[in-house]
Amino acid sequence: MIIAIVCIAGIGLVAAVSLALADKYLAVKEDPRIGMVTAVLPGANCGGCGFAGCDAYARALVEGTAPNGACAAGGEACAAAVAKILGVEATATERRVALVKCCGTRSESIRLGDYNGICDCATAAATAGGDKGCRFGCLGYGACANVCPKNAISVSDGLAKVDKRLCIGCGKCVKACPKHLIELVPASATIHVLCNNPVRGPEVRKVCGVGCMGCHLCEKNSGGKEAGHFTFDGFLAKVNYDNPPTDPSIVAKCPAKCMAEDPHFETGH
Amino acid sequence: MRAMSYYLMILVGAVLVNNFVLSRFLGCCPFLGVSKKTETALGMSGAVVFVMTIASAVTWCLDHWLLAPNNLGYIHTLAFILVIASLVQFIDIAMKRFLPPLHAALGIFLPLITTNCAVLGAAEINCKQGTGFFEAVFFSFSAALGFGFALVIFSGIREKLAHADPPRCFRGIALALVTGGLLSLAFMGFSGLVKLPY
Amino acid sequence: MKTVKSKFKFKGGVHPDYNKELARDGAIERLPLPKELAVSMSQHLGAPARCLVKAGDFVRRGQVIGEKAGFISVCVRSPADGKVKAVEKRVGAAGAMADAVLIDTTASLPEDAPPPPVLAPMDWSSATREELLGRIEEAGICGMGGAGFPTAVKLNPPPGKRCEYLVLNGAECEPYLTADYRVMLERAPRIRLGVEIMRKVLGLPAVRIAIEANKPEAIAAMEAAFADIEGNVEIVVLPVLYPQGSEKHQIYATVGRVVPEPPALPIDVGCVVENVGTVAAIADAVELGEPLLERVTTVSGDAVATPKNVLAPSGTRYADLLEFCGGATERPAKVISGGTMMGFAVSSLDIGTTKTTSGLLFLSRRRVFQYSSQACINCGRCLRACPMNLNPAEISKAMEVDDVKTAEDAHVMDCIECGACSFGCPAYRAITQFCRKAKNSIRARIAAERAAAAAAKASDGAAKKEAK
Repeated sequence: MIIAIVCIAGIGLVAAVSLALADKYLAVKEDPRIGMVTAVLPGANCGGCGFAGCDAYARALVEGTAPNGACAAGGEACAAAVAKILGVEATATERRVALVKCCGTRSESIRLGDYNGICDCATAAATAGGDKGCRFGCLGYGACANVCPKNAISVSDGLAKVDKRLCIGCGKCVKACPKHLIELVPASATIHVLCNNPVRGPEVRKVCGVGCMGCHLCEKNSGGKEAGHFTFDGFLAKVNYDNPPTDPSIVAKCPAKCMAEDPHFETGH
Repeated sequence: MRAMSYYLMILVGAVLVNNFVLSRFLGCCPFLGVSKKTETALGMSGAVVFVMTIASAVTWCLDHWLLAPNNLGYIHTLAFILVIASLVQFIDIAMKRFLPPLHAALGIFLPLITTNCAVLGAAEINCKQGTGFFEAVFFSFSAALGFGFALVIFSGIREKLAHADPPRCFRGIALALVTGGLLSLAFMGFSGLVKLPY
Repeated sequence: MKTVKSKFKFKGGVHPDYNKELARDGAIERLPLPKELAVSMSQHLGAPARCLVKAGDFVRRGQVIGEKAGFISVCVRSPADGKVKAVEKRVGAAGAMADAVLIDTTASLPEDAPPPPVLAPMDWSSATREELLGRIEEAGICGMGGAGFPTAVKLNPPPGKRCEYLVLNGAECEPYLTADYRVMLERAPRIRLGVEIMRKVLGLPAVRIAIEANKPEAIAAMEAAFADIEGNVEIVVLPVLYPQGSEKHQIYATVGRVVPEPPALPIDVGCVVENVGTVAAIADAVELGEPLLERVTTVSGDAVATPKNVLAPSGTRYADLLEFCGGATERPAKVISGGTMMGFAVSSLDIGTTKTTSGLLFLSRRRVFQYSSQACINCGRCLRACPMNLNPAEISKAMEVDDVKTAEDAHVMDCIECGACSFGCPAYRAITQFCRKAKNSIRARIAAERAAAAAAKASDGAAKKEAK
């Protein structure tokens, strides 16, 4: 009995000492701050910062090759925590969320034909430009929803919608959309133009009941051109998100019905 | 010649007939855990072959020169766990320092097998059979090869299964367990292939 | 000159219903100039041409309205006199948006309008190689078989590579299409002249004229036209098999050489493949000074009143072509630009033809099989059908769950998108579309990687400059 205890204790001692020595003399030193920064990052590995994952971003932060505040998922709180660890000042970032700039549901827009291929927006777009009459609108095959790491996007009635509360602003959907109609907008902005079609009004009307015709009424109602709440690309109104409009009454006055006040839907997850 | 056929029988026995995972059911957790991709399965297999061979050599020495002479056979499981765990940790640290490329390939798997039952099982079997040093080490090496063989086959099947669309209740580990069971049944076909030295 | 049977048969391939009898016996008819043309700036492979005109401009027939915008690009010339109504982004047959110039051909030109530019006719036998290449380039000629690769680039092999075989593609293996067949019958002397010009440009390679065995009249016409030609010229009769008209398979069937996987080109095995229509266009450009402004398009299908082979200016709207052929006998269920195997279903008849529009098919409900795709049953029919020795089943299954890496490991980039796999699939899977999806995402990834590498290099250089 005694011999057994002594034996096990001896083996344990030898192992402990050799491990301690190995750790002291053989260990490869790594900056401990990398681990600390990784711990405060959200760990979603969404890649929104432009790095391969949270670990890689943490490494780059500690090495000083990446700007603090690039993590949209973590937001200001995360940036502040990272800044505390690294002893640098955080660049203030406003939380941004994705917005699908189309409101042409199946009932509002026309379809040119039956698309019978695989359910993927890019592939549908490569087949005669997709089945939607509007060449700029949402196809509704859910390429954005498939890449969303947070399941914040759902497709209903042929239209993708983003859940503002779940969206972490990683921008993957922006890249996935073949029609380039998803934009990252400040989460605080509440008034949006939900259209992406820059062609003339009559042409838009042929294919969609809720397309922007470029009538400039939103601009007039929000204080005119000087107020600078809107910019125009061809016959398409765009909200100037550096100076977004705040008066919700202009939404109802849009004759094309393509404006909305906080169109982000909430699923109640 | 006879020695060679003896070692060959050990090899065939450990790889096919009494496969560690599929008939002895040792090392099931890495078998299910790191079998999603053939690439990682290969890395894991390499790490297991490496650790199992070294661990069996060390535990053989420990058993023969320290435990058996002192009539301490009854605590060998305890002693082996201690030795194997610290040995793997030591190898991990040393490898990181001296062989960074090998560490990059095997490193993430080493901590996973510190207390792996397959490694301990090999040491236990050697101890029970009372074989000689070279036989013991060769048996462990073959057993690890068998483990790697099963793991790579399994990961190949799972890679194909990833493209399938099974009912929701079967997704993930459930289907993996069913597949593992079928693979185990398939390996039963090897029983009686050689007259086992073990 | 002799006629031989093809000694090499590639693996795979399928036998679709050819339906060529619909338009085969109709002589080429010229379309009266349509009232409006929609001339695309992206009629060829490579960079779209840069548009040189704006709304309100008057253009003359043959005037350059889009200039070459890169190494792999060709110019676009106006097919008719008229006034530019608008320049706008339009969806092409393949679904991509490109600038298109809308020309109103009924507008009367102002008195002081410049005369239409003329290319002087050339004597090919005394012209130099560079002059001939320059003419082919300024005539805006690109491959008329389908892909639209700029011909001047193809005929000018990079240094160190020599063209040993000029293969003339007259296989026309796509169902319904008879445009190349009619060109071979009616314009055989032009093809002969084009071949002689190309032989001069390429340094006297051997010539192989590939024609499928189901076109005996075309073989006879070619035999008559090339009867007294000197040099190593052979007419190779190919077995009837889809995709015999594919560049790589044609090279194998005629000279027994295998083109390695991309980025290798046919010139890497000493071959240049050119469509018969393109060869006739080269003859016109050199001898008559006539740029490539019009082409023969087969308008066919069971929903067309009188299927025809129409000589139409590029930019003709599909609706005008249909009207010229007597309109539709019933509401077409599907309209395809190109052939039924590789063509594109189109969603609008407002799209204009291009230099590569070989056919326009209007199919009735009876010819269009509406299916819904099911799970793969592992029958292996697509593996047997694939002429590139790929595993389409594996690729389609991987792409169903967006596993691009497996598809790439299965060499999806070798896929020629011939459609043989989807054609025979008993589970009606859209295998070719999955391959296309995989190829597009791989290409996008490579482009993104290149852009990132270039950006990193640029920022690195800037940082070094700053440090200095």
